[in-house]
Amino acid sequence: MRRVALVGAGVSKFGVRKATYRDLVWEAGKACFDSVPGVKPKDLDGLVVGSVMPERTAFQSHISSMVAEALGIRPSALSARTEHMCASGTVGIRYAYAFIAAGLADLVMVLGVEKLNQPVADEAVLNMGTGVDREWEAAFGLTAPPCFAFAAQRHMAEYGTTEEQLAMVGVKNHTHAAKNPSAHFTKGATLDQVLGSRMIASPLRLFMCSPITDGAAAVVLASETRARALTDTPVWIRGTGQALDGFQLSSLHEDYAHWPALKRAAQAAYQMAAVGPHEIDLAEVHDCFSIAELIAYEELGFCHKGEAGPFVAEGRSDYGGDVVVNPRGGLIGCGHPLGATGVAQAAEVFVQLRGEAGARQVPAAALALTHNNSGMGEHVVMIYGKEPA
Amino acid sequence: MTYFRALDPFPLESADHTTLHEFYTRLGAGTLTTTKCRGCGRSAWPPRGFCAECGAAAFDWVDLASEGTVHAFTVQETGLPAGFEAPRVFAIVKVDGHRVFTVLTGAEPAALRVGQRVRLAPLRVADDPKGNPRWLPAFEVV
Ligand SMILES: [Zn+2]
Repeated sequence: MRRVALVGAGVSKFGVRKATYRDLVWEAGKACFDSVPGVKPKDLDGLVVGSVMPERTAFQSHISSMVAEALGIRPSALSARTEHMCASGTVGIRYAYAFIAAGLADLVMVLGVEKLNQPVADEAVLNMGTGVDREWEAAFGLTAPPCFAFAAQRHMAEYGTTEEQLAMVGVKNHTHAAKNPSAHFTKGATLDQVLGSRMIASPLRLFMCSPITDGAAAVVLASETRARALTDTPVWIRGTGQALDGFQLSSLHEDYAHWPALKRAAQAAYQMAAVGPHEIDLAEVHDCFSIAELIAYEELGFCHKGEAGPFVAEGRSDYGGDVVVNPRGGLIGCGHPLGATGVAQAAEVFVQLRGEAGARQVPAAALALTHNNSGMGEHVVMIYGKEPA
Repeated sequence: MTYFRALDPFPLESADHTTLHEFYTRLGAGTLTTTKCRGCGRSAWPPRGFCAECGAAAFDWVDLASEGTVHAFTVQETGLPAGFEAPRVFAIVKVDGHRVFTVLTGAEPAALRVGQRVRLAPLRVADDPKGNPRWLPAFEVV
């Protein structure tokens, strides 16, 4: 297999945007092309678009061709859309990676985009129900919060994890987002604010949850030859893993605080990269809800099972700790425009490993991990390095 | 208003629309059932037309117990989809070894606990576009 690197990355402003789906594509595309002056739209031989529900939110399918035309890309080797709910972006990166590693493409853009907010706010929540099983789950009014609430309830009962520890994830990620001008929320949050915010699904309160956000992000992946010609500071893909336990709540691990698929995805990625969890300098993990970040610490091997509460409370997942988790502000601080999230995680890793992250730079960052999930039983992990091996 | 499938949150349960229609007919009559594979004899939840264990596509309907125990629950207070009232108690109920996702109706949230006994309480929802009744497998505290 050939080596593959990120050579460009850009994100749109995340938030409740006065913009169309296509406006967001243009904004992220422009930012990405600006980051790599040697690449023009027609130089790309491939495009993958991660996007979950434009059929409902923009009344638009046929997404890859629409985005290719919007950006002036003429794919000659790869054109595809990936839909894997909240993990669509990283699943798209894996497609592009595999095509380039196999020699089937040389220079591919992966763009993630979602326009979730609607003129009538309720419609956005209604649409989120498409992410769980319609017949056996969504018909009852289920969306994501109760699923992760089951995990939080169980983690608290089994390990003594506290509401304060759940809230500390919200405080940390809102604080990080305050240094990220692209984030949905840029004002930070205190422990009192998080604990005083309204209850969504017990024990998860508003500031422990990612909001409904519009946004887009794009990265360019290149073969080693093309990467070295385009930049002195490519960011290398070192490892990747994906694993699924199940789709419906009825088929996941009986103990909702245990996510074996994440452990398997991480092990595959670590093994491929030939690194271990304690070598990771920064991690962009899928904090759709604060409990997800806590369980991710454990399944990714940053701490032992059950120790995630003290891990965040002691600052071990913040600047100066063992590993800086979610320096861009995570999904809680940046918002979660589904298909864009995994690509935005990669874009953050790109600037961090090049030392270009400004106020939120992780000192001496050399090795980074991203974790994207599409439910408690479906996980994707990527490992990136400043060096190719 | 014209019926649009894309705005209907409920399954189409009649024989015109699903091979699992018998589940809903029996549910409307007050019985919780599921499929049992004719190939390997395993029963599954939820009902399914293809066995994940042996690959057979033939099945019989079997009755499940009308009572179960709460395996997990949460109370959603805000952020529910349009048409669903808060507070709403979502739960996983263990019935005959299966984990059944459901809502608990008429429950007092503060009094709920894991392990509590609950019983089937079929929930009638909006009729389908032809006026057929539709049901969901909800539970209530015993
Ligand atoms: Zn079978």
